[in-house]
Amino acid sequence: MASGISPAPGASNRPGVQLAELQEFIEHEANLLDEQRFDEWLELFADDGIYWVPARPGQESPLTHVSLFYDDKPTLRIRVERLKHPKIHSQTPRSKTVRLVSNFRLAPQSGDPAEHCVTSKFVLLEDRPGVERRLFGGRYTHRLRAVPDGLRIVSKRVDLTNCDQFFPSLTQPF
Amino acid sequence: MSNFSNEYLRGLVLEDRVHRSIYTDPAIFELEMERIFGRVWLYVGHQSQVPNPGDFFCTTLARQPVVLSRDRDGAIHVLFNRCGHRGARVLNEECGNARLFTCMYHGWSFQPNGELAGVPMRRDFPAETLIDPQFGMVHLPRVENYRGFVFASLNPQVVALRDYLGEAIRGIDELVDRAPEGEIEFWAGCHRYEYRGNWKLQFENMADMYHPAAAHASTVGPDGRQFKRRSGGKGGDAPFFAENGEAIVAQTGVRGFRNGHSSEASLFREEQSGGVWDEYRALLVSKHGEERTREILRNRRHSMTIFPSVDILIAQTSVRVIRPVAVDRTEVQVYPVRLKGAPLQISIDVIRFVNITHAAASFIQSDDLEAFERSRQGLAASGTDWVLVARGLGGEVDEGNGVAFGDRSSEVGQRAQHYAWRDLMSAG
Repeated sequence: MASGISPAPGASNRPGVQLAELQEFIEHEANLLDEQRFDEWLELFADDGIYWVPARPGQESPLTHVSLFYDDKPTLRIRVERLKHPKIHSQTPRSKTVRLVSNFRLAPQSGDPAEHCVTSKFVLLEDRPGVERRLFGGRYTHRLRAVPDGLRIVSKRVDLTNCDQFFPSLTQPF
Repeated sequence: MSNFSNEYLRGLVLEDRVHRSIYTDPAIFELEMERIFGRVWLYVGHQSQVPNPGDFFCTTLARQPVVLSRDRDGAIHVLFNRCGHRGARVLNEECGNARLFTCMYHGWSFQPNGELAGVPMRRDFPAETLIDPQFGMVHLPRVENYRGFVFASLNPQVVALRDYLGEAIRGIDELVDRAPEGEIEFWAGCHRYEYRGNWKLQFENMADMYHPAAAHASTVGPDGRQFKRRSGGKGGDAPFFAENGEAIVAQTGVRGFRNGHSSEASLFREEQSGGVWDEYRALLVSKHGEERTREILRNRRHSMTIFPSVDILIAQTSVRVIRPVAVDRTEVQVYPVRLKGAPLQISIDVIRFVNITHAAASFIQSDDLEAFERSRQGLAASGTDWVLVARGLGGEVDEGNGVAFGDRSSEVGQRAQHYAWRDLMSAG
């Protein structure tokens, strides 16, 4: 058992991937976002990958209720292109962020033996000159697929504690 | 009582410009709550938000807590969300269902029609006091429902809703007529965004076809097309720039209406088609015939903005509600709409596209929010007191019935808003 990860009851250790690798991958992903390496972040997603931030606690479907983000990879690519665009006014000047990710847990995952489901807790601090400091927190649920050269995100769900409240302009993926 | 004379207030809006204090002065904001929000019709909610007896939906009108409720007999009411006893807010969740609405403070309870239902240890109150309806949950003085859109007014003397809406009523018709069953439904929750800025900044923006080329530059790809904004094999996206280099959106027209309403011409040129859209069109044709169907689906308007509370987004199939909170704080909700009787996939696609156009995290709205914040900051500057809304002035075409059309992203819509503001504010 890798340090820092404890399996949830009933979770099984999938063959081929060490638990520590999953944690390291998620921390690496958080770091890419903090460093605004959005192209590299995008490439972490599988071609059928989904990035989802529900707008309601416990939201069951992204199809029948609005979401803060519900991006398939082509949409995520548009988002990343826009984040890099020189005329993105809502990022002039750019935000600085720091993400702390903790409490990693393996969740039971049925189906594809090459997929792993990991939940974690995060806090995101966003600072942008001229704007009040913003603090977000919540839970990540990553479904990760083992492929020959590493891991890919099949889905990343972000449950914010304040997901059903009013938000100012949101530019940084959580 | 106002410290401003009517003459002074009138002078804050000129033909082509407005005084910056109307965005920044807390005393003017207080007076707006009384003379604008206290006098005209305000959108409350949609009847589909309270489908069953005992359903309630809480919101605010002129910052006052109100509740839209459905009574046991199916009637819809709009009540002040305030206990008739000592004034505590009764319903504390945004929506839900309850047989009785019960105040947490002393346990008084009310019927969904506002009548006082239960009072703990009742006999210790003078009996005649409790009969007085003002100690129930009090009704808004005026309530009207137009095709599911419930409006209320704090002003008992307000004109009929139809007269207040005038030609702008077409915006509601044009959205609702797109539903094969002639009825729409709010079914997918709402986006919620807020900004540190005056509510009028959002209203001006909703009549603004001039800003996208600059404000939304980051949404245009290297091929000169904006990302796809709505579903359909055709009619979902549009080229952004015309051959002469101007943004196409800035070449389109705007209308200003009596009482401050406004509308923008559609950005789209083609009917949405392909897949379920063809199925949907066939449904409309079977119901209305080809000619009427073409009329219903015509890309006439992007939106119809009903001053000072709601925006009917016809092209995006959604409804945006604007609530002023303070002179420099505004809250907005955007509800994707389901067209009853249309293939489900159409309404699911609406949700998906509204996510990327109007969520706080969307490609469009985030830059508009930036514009509102920068306006708040810039309007603190005292170098000049005037804000210009002169675009297209003098070029308007009078279309009759209180409608003025201006082409090429005329600021005729903003002027209509400000002229209505002036007339209401200076009528002490």
